[in-house]
Amino acid sequence: MLDIRRISINRWVLNKKIWVLFGFLLFFFFIRLSKGSLFKDFYYFISKPFWPGQFQREIIRNSVDQEFLIKLQQVENDNERLREILTLQKLSEPDTIVASVISRQTGSWWRQIILNKGANDGVEIGSPVVGPGGLLGRVYSTSSFTSSVRLLTSPESQVGVWIDRIQLHGLLVGSGNDFPKLIFFNKEVDVKVGDFVTSSSASTLLPPNIPIGVISSVDEETKLKKTANVLLLGKPQAIDWVEVLKVKI
Amino acid sequence: MINFVKKNLPIISFLIIPLVFLYSPTWLDFFGSKPYWPLYWLLPWSMMHGPFSGLIVSLFLGLILDSISPDHIFTQIPGLMLCGLWFSRCKTCSNYLIGHFRYGLICSIGSFLCGSIYFLQILIKNLPDQNFIFYYPSIKNILAQVFVTGLFAPLFCSTLFKLFSTNKGRKSLLVSQRIRNF
Repeated sequence: MLDIRRISINRWVLNKKIWVLFGFLLFFFFIRLSKGSLFKDFYYFISKPFWPGQFQREIIRNSVDQEFLIKLQQVENDNERLREILTLQKLSEPDTIVASVISRQTGSWWRQIILNKGANDGVEIGSPVVGPGGLLGRVYSTSSFTSSVRLLTSPESQVGVWIDRIQLHGLLVGSGNDFPKLIFFNKEVDVKVGDFVTSSSASTLLPPNIPIGVISSVDEETKLKKTANVLLLGKPQAIDWVEVLKVKI
Repeated sequence: MINFVKKNLPIISFLIIPLVFLYSPTWLDFFGSKPYWPLYWLLPWSMMHGPFSGLIVSLFLGLILDSISPDHIFTQIPGLMLCGLWFSRCKTCSNYLIGHFRYGLICSIGSFLCGSIYFLQILIKNLPDQNFIFYYPSIKNILAQVFVTGLFAPLFCSTLFKLFSTNKGRKSLLVSQRIRNF
């Protein structure tokens, strides 16, 4: 009886296929735990010839600069003056890392973009990412050469926002489509279509006053809360160049 | 080199899936949804290699895809494993035309299964805070993905099936030659 059992155990232990499978399983668990950094780095190298050209970056920068240059000075002056009055935290001059988008998934549930700058370039997990228009999302993982950004439209994304007109905070939650939901935990809120949404000064995740979007429709109020759909100003499906903000909040 | 590629074609094509998942060409979009790529590989593989192999490979696929997708709480493994098990029960069809459309139908149902399981996870996690209507766009995502996956399945699945069967045929030929020589 014991001999038979020993033979069967020996057969199991000596089976090469099982060990190969076990090796593969360990390898894939390693990839899972490293958040696919091996794959993302490999993708970085093979997608290098297809990155968006330099001229595109300049066009975007010029158009954005021209549009906002005049407004910016005025807004900054106002902002400084008001912050001094309200004694709120001061928006520091953020260092930025310019990166190009090498992979984008902007439909379905998996809403992310992968950038060609990673931990080697100083990108940190949690850094906000902005593009022409405003905030796109936050970095959720980095590899040596790439960083992955969870977009505001992703179902796992939740950020605190500020609605300037009604002077109220809300929670912006991704719902798996292009219009994230803005939730107010008070049904008496006087929110209207066209209200401007920016990052909240009370947020511990983002620096204040980054433009996010405009309220496109207001849902019917429920028992405890009111929700609205937000049209984002940054369009991740069309942007090829972004900026990663290196700020300490 | 060509021999190496021919010999390891299933493994190479397996490793390409995450890269296609990352590249995901925008011109294949349908209402923002892209085909669910892993099913195109999993269907011919499971049909040829049986339930155990289908189950193990779908676990590997799920692990890789989870590692490169942004959601860390939700997983694609249960849906893929169920598909791997179910696909292994499917048989090839002798009729060329019907066989092609069958791939489309099977992949559509598989995509629906995977999408629904993923959606259920989102729903279970968020239901205490949000109501069901909050996530109605996800239903649109599922349906769009079902359509676009089914649309391209005949093309990709039959190509991969042919490549795998050639590879398997080559392997069995090598084994039989070895036995003969022995």
